[in-house]
Amino acid sequence: MSHHLFLLSPNDTPLYSLTHQSSKPTTAPSYPLSSNLPSWSTTTFAGTLSALSGAAGLNQAPAGGGAPRIGSGQGRNVVQMIAYASLDVIEELMRTNPAMYLKGVDKFNEWTVSAFITLGNMKFVLLHDGKNDDGVKAFFTDVWDLYVKTMLNPFHSAHTAIKSAVFDGRVRASARRHL
Amino acid sequence: MSSAKQYKNVGEDLWKTRTDKINGELFAMTYGALVVQLIQDYEDYTEVNKQLEKMGYNIGTRLIEDFLARSALGRCGDFREVGEVVAKVGFKSFLNITPSVSHAGPPPPTPLPGGGIPPGPSLIPGSYFTLTFDENPLAEFVELPDDALEGGLWYSNVLCGVLRGSLEMIQMQVEATFVSDVLRGDENTEIRVKLVKYLEEEVPLGDD
Repeated sequence: MSHHLFLLSPNDTPLYSLTHQSSKPTTAPSYPLSSNLPSWSTTTFAGTLSALSGAAGLNQAPAGGGAPRIGSGQGRNVVQMIAYASLDVIEELMRTNPAMYLKGVDKFNEWTVSAFITLGNMKFVLLHDGKNDDGVKAFFTDVWDLYVKTMLNPFHSAHTAIKSAVFDGRVRASARRHL
Repeated sequence: MSSAKQYKNVGEDLWKTRTDKINGELFAMTYGALVVQLIQDYEDYTEVNKQLEKMGYNIGTRLIEDFLARSALGRCGDFREVGEVVAKVGFKSFLNITPSVSHAGPPPPTPLPGGGIPPGPSLIPGSYFTLTFDENPLAEFVELPDDALEGGLWYSNVLCGVLRGSLEMIQMQVEATFVSDVLRGDENTEIRVKLVKYLEEEVPLGDD
């Protein structure tokens, strides 16, 4: 089960992104597209990827439990596209729904997009598969807390990319805990 | 001579009763904005360190009057006592922190010609005390960027200036420098205050 987190400023500038492979077991959804593909590509991510970009010529060599190489250019773009495509929906919901945590904002094949809107109109977008509402909410709250602390650093300018290694480490630790 | 415990009580009493307080986050953010602005203006971290120290010096020269008026402490017997008072009363009443103090002095000199007894270790210029801070209210939430780390920025250098300025007003010339800083990745934050010399009272010109 993999998760992709994106932090976006109110002007939709991407400030931070993270990919996390969860070690928690998840029910593998079956989807028709995968029946013709070799077994290594039937992880949820690879399945979507193949469906979108054509299975031929793709060389997603998995390691371990079928974890795709997230660093590859095509994988990244697809994930980002899915996440940012949900921004319209998120913005609409923002205006009507006063709650901070918006779960299940958008669905794409087996991916769900959840969002968390901070009080300063920062958008935290999480792309994930499987249902894990409590964990996701706890994770978002943690990320919010870490984000506020980063903003308090005088050396960080608002709405610029967050490059701090400390922030990155802590977000990863929180992801391991909650997701 | 007041004992260490008495100093601690004086410091706590001053903090609780005779000090106006402001929000710690506001204080830390104001100082942070100041440091960042200095970095943008000077673009050289050594220069920024110097400026922070100069600002601290100006603060210290004024602060000592306020401190002496409120604490009503008398003259310290030796430099060791100065260190104790600074740590337990001074820092406590202004920042509500109590750094721990450790004293050291230069090795005793060879016996003076004529058999005179050398002065005690805390009166010799060159003796120093080290303040170890386990928390620093100026540096809450601060993370230094890489070029600040390479450039050698001492983030809280204003404290060194305050120490130098205030002690100079009571006839001690000292050098206060940072030894280590947690913001830089060291284990703890330490300031070393070294006595350079005692200043003689100077007769103003034109008096005789």
